[in-house]
Amino acid sequence: MTAPTMTGIAAIKGQPAVEVHDLGIRYDLRLTRRTTLKGSLAGMFRRDSSDTDFWAIRHLTFSLAQGESLAVIGPNGAGKSTLLLALAGVLQPSEGDIVTHGRVSTLLTLGAGFEMELTGRDNIDLVGAFLGIDARQMAELTPTIIEFAEIGPFIDAPVKTYSSGMRARLGFSIATATTPDILLLDEVLGTGDQTFRARSQARVRELVDRAKAIVLVTHDLTFVGEFCNRAILLEKGQIIREGPPGEIVDLYRQRVIQHKLLAEEGAKRFASVPKADQPLVNSR
Amino acid sequence: MTGQTSDAITPPRRGATGRGPVSLVRSGVTEIFERRRLTRYLVGAELKQTHADTVFGQLWWIFDPLLQMAVYFVLVVIIFNRPTPAYPLFIFVAILPWKWFTASINEAMLSVTGRQNLIRQIQFPKLILPTAAVTAATMSFLFGLIALAIVYLFYLDRVSIWLICLPVIAGVQFVFTLALGILFSALNAFFRDIQNVLGHVLRLLFYLSPALYSLSTIEKDHPTAAAILAFNPFAVLFESYRAVTWGTSPPNTIGLALLLGFSLVLLTVAIYLFKRVEPTFARIL
Repeated sequence: MTAPTMTGIAAIKGQPAVEVHDLGIRYDLRLTRRTTLKGSLAGMFRRDSSDTDFWAIRHLTFSLAQGESLAVIGPNGAGKSTLLLALAGVLQPSEGDIVTHGRVSTLLTLGAGFEMELTGRDNIDLVGAFLGIDARQMAELTPTIIEFAEIGPFIDAPVKTYSSGMRARLGFSIATATTPDILLLDEVLGTGDQTFRARSQARVRELVDRAKAIVLVTHDLTFVGEFCNRAILLEKGQIIREGPPGEIVDLYRQRVIQHKLLAEEGAKRFASVPKADQPLVNSR
Repeated sequence: MTGQTSDAITPPRRGATGRGPVSLVRSGVTEIFERRRLTRYLVGAELKQTHADTVFGQLWWIFDPLLQMAVYFVLVVIIFNRPTPAYPLFIFVAILPWKWFTASINEAMLSVTGRQNLIRQIQFPKLILPTAAVTAATMSFLFGLIALAIVYLFYLDRVSIWLICLPVIAGVQFVFTLALGILFSALNAFFRDIQNVLGHVLRLLFYLSPALYSLSTIEKDHPTAAAILAFNPFAVLFESYRAVTWGTSPPNTIGLALLLGFSLVLLTVAIYLFKRVEPTFARIL
């Protein structure tokens, strides 16, 4: 197999972009609760860790080739965001390993990392430095970031004077300024007023086109078919099924309905229990 | 598969990282040097933030120590009636470094918890946060030296060649402070209680340090107490600052050298411990 020479940002089809093997992420509930010293000292003496550990995801194995875009869907608490954070390198695997080929980047929550007292321009530098983008590249990107954010002369005013819309636009503009090799998306972003929303969605689409591989976590199932060519259904930290987006979305919908029916049945049963006691209460 | 791999492959991120202490400390030090630009921006942000709502802004680093000096002067010289020659200068060379120390520790302590939003979203070397906090306070301290110059205007006869030792003493204090700042920033992520206790601990440490008095006055009545107090890092620092300014004499070189050695060890331990717990920040914050 001879690999074609890379031209520009074109992806080499078939080359792995992300390899995840037997990944597990564990949260220690003793530490996760906003503990005070007293609480955690008590916890330290409990040697049995089974009731204090929580596996957000476990035994995940999958890989993503260049040119592919993967949707991760599932109910709340399935571990979707945890998986994304692990791929981004924010969370370290408690078990197993992750190999990524190329620069991984996730879109920051808009305005994360902003310092209110600094000007918009200084904040561009600051967030760029947090993201690890070097000074030269940042200098090249800054004019486009400012232009896209549409905040005009306010760029040299402190961010605390911005409206929330301006802050969101600047945040979005910085977050999408560079194209990563592997793009991680937590929901498809839409910000600001109508016109900016249209532009921001166009920009995300542009990023999606340019990235070599994409992982998208979303509740909005309409995007899955549009953006992705593969999907994973995640439930309680486990992969239920992996396959073409249409099939997985259908499966997810079925399971949601099933769960709802089960839940309603459970609620009915629960509601019927106190009825037996009611006469007692009423007689008083 | 024989496919070529891109040159940007990250080493596999594995569970249960078994990295040794040496490699952790080395990577911590490398991070601090490689991300200087981030530190610089954070220092700039912190300096703007600290005095943003005040009319005089940064000038408070000149006024505040001078006002403290006035308060202690009233307390010690007038109320307790313990006159010491050139007492304003005598206490000022302890008050200013102490303000630097407490500002550093307080800001460093909140530096990690204050950035939890970002820590939960992107991967960056968290060691930069306490480092930037301590550096920002150091900048303010350097600015506050203007106040020392003002005090000196009244005691020009106390200017001596030994003043050239000031940067050395301050350098030792910087290493010591950075080590503690890194430790407290990590500890506070786990135990917020520290925020409540620290103020009191620092005040006690201040009174146990020869700031308002000198070790030699204690030595007369309580030789053992003075011997114990001499182990306090701030006994070494304050007495050295005072020697080269107020006393126009050389600093306690042996004490400083020992303190520097201790501080470097402490800094290494602090970086190691910080790097050990760094991966858990994103989970617990």
